[in-house]
Amino acid sequence: MKNNNSNINLKNLFKKVFFVDLVQGLIVTFGYTFSKTITLRYPDEEKWIPYKRFRGLHTLNRNKEGKELCVGCELCAKSCPTNCIKVVPAQDKTGKGIADRVAARWEINLLRCMFCGFCEDACPTEALKLGREYELASLSMQGQLRTKEELLAPQEIPVNFEGGVIVKARLGRDEDEVSVKPDLSVQKRWW
Amino acid sequence: MFDLINMNPMLVMILEVLLICVKVVVVSLILFMLPLPLTYMERKVAGHIQVRLGPFRTGPHGILQPFADMIKLMFKEDIVPAKADKWLFKIAPVIAMVPVFAVYATVPFGESITIPYINKEITMYISDMNVGILYVLAIAGISVYGIILGGWASNSKYALFGGLRSSAQMISYELALSFACVGVVMLSNSLSLVDIVKSQSNWRWNILYQPVGFFIFLIAGIAEINRIPFDMPEDEGTLGAGYHAEYSAMRFAFFMLTEYVAMVTISTLAVLLFFGGWDGPGFLPGIVWFVIKVVAFIYLFMWARFTYPRYRFDQLMTIGWKILLPLSLLNILITGLVII
Ligand code: SF4
Ligand code: SF4
Repeated sequence: MKNNNSNINLKNLFKKVFFVDLVQGLIVTFGYTFSKTITLRYPDEEKWIPYKRFRGLHTLNRNKEGKELCVGCELCAKSCPTNCIKVVPAQDKTGKGIADRVAARWEINLLRCMFCGFCEDACPTEALKLGREYELASLSMQGQLRTKEELLAPQEIPVNFEGGVIVKARLGRDEDEVSVKPDLSVQKRWW
Repeated sequence: MFDLINMNPMLVMILEVLLICVKVVVVSLILFMLPLPLTYMERKVAGHIQVRLGPFRTGPHGILQPFADMIKLMFKEDIVPAKADKWLFKIAPVIAMVPVFAVYATVPFGESITIPYINKEITMYISDMNVGILYVLAIAGISVYGIILGGWASNSKYALFGGLRSSAQMISYELALSFACVGVVMLSNSLSLVDIVKSQSNWRWNILYQPVGFFIFLIAGIAEINRIPFDMPEDEGTLGAGYHAEYSAMRFAFFMLTEYVAMVTISTLAVLLFFGGWDGPGFLPGIVWFVIKVVAFIYLFMWARFTYPRYRFDQLMTIGWKILLPLSLLNILITGLVII
């Protein structure tokens, strides 16, 4: 028993005298020095493309024939906890929607939206989806009001793109817009 | 082609003086510029150890970051706290800074080179004092006055604590540091740094004969230059920023400069005393070997900084007085016995 104890003590003494623990620590950090970085160089060179489940800027969909799926039922507006969607339904015989009833105006106030996704769940025709756009800053309050026309335009990242990757991107700057254009073909993962 | 020896002695003397002036200017310019690459290096080392990239946006790979920092520091407002001792507050960074520069008056950087055509030998040191190592240790020790006065004059409790800790730490570790050097001095029979380096030529580096002395020197050196794990005087966790908590703009930059140059000094001393100075395989000139070794030591200090947590103050004192001091005395004793 006693022998055992002194053995352990000797080991500890050895460890102390030759700084074994300290050297081990140094080796660990040295390893990390040459490991792959986890820094995402956004927005200069890289950009994160979220998964499909991401809840970003709303998008209004069309069906295969290019007709608006929204039937102006106002369910989204009613289900919204923050009351930030405004839908004005109208009758339409020109056939731009899938039914006679379409939304004449469909506006959302992103300042109040908390991206809960309730509107998306409430929509009976799957017209409304929360997309993957997340760069929503604007230079004025007005810029946070998005209308139907803007939301009907397809988003930058295609719907069938899997996401969950870092892609190459380029920062573009001009007078009234700053944008980060992703290049979906060059992908990278750090893990 | 002409020969200096045949020239007028007066002219020779003027030339000598000029040469010394040029050397002084060159060395101090280099020292003033040193923090630029060193801050960059420190931040890169920190970044990569923490699996980040470090500065990256100013210039390619962030290479212009130190310049951006310098410009920022120059244009910042120079704040003096209302109840501070104005005069001391202003003079303290200078008191801290001047000694660390003065140290380099006697530090040799390489073998003397002979300039062709005029047959003039140029030595790679400003002066070869016969008590070089003593001078270095003594002058470097003065630097702590700047830190103490800076802490005192700030009229801030954190700064004062930083200054106090710094003085206590200096006193405890200066002893071990000096005693660690004594072993080397005994081996080379000289106090002159040039002679110490010369005695280690041909791979008879002192690290082989004085490993214990080297470790004492290294640990005490880290404590002396206030770096983690012994950076009590500027312990961010408990003191804000320690002795320079109240400083801003260029005065703060002077303290930073002092710290970096002190780090270079300790690395230089470690190389001169234990790693054979400019001694190295012949395919590179001596001064290159010298720089490589010094940079390796600086890297070691930075590496350690981002690896270890800091010691508690009482632990610091225990290490200094109960372990390093007796160990260094023992080291001297054994060295003496072996030499006899
Ligand atoms: S995501 Fe939520 S808050 Fe935003 S519009 Fe839809 S229901 Fe309203
Ligand atoms: S987006 Fe959907 S829920 Fe909202 S009005 Fe149109 S169809 Fe109805």
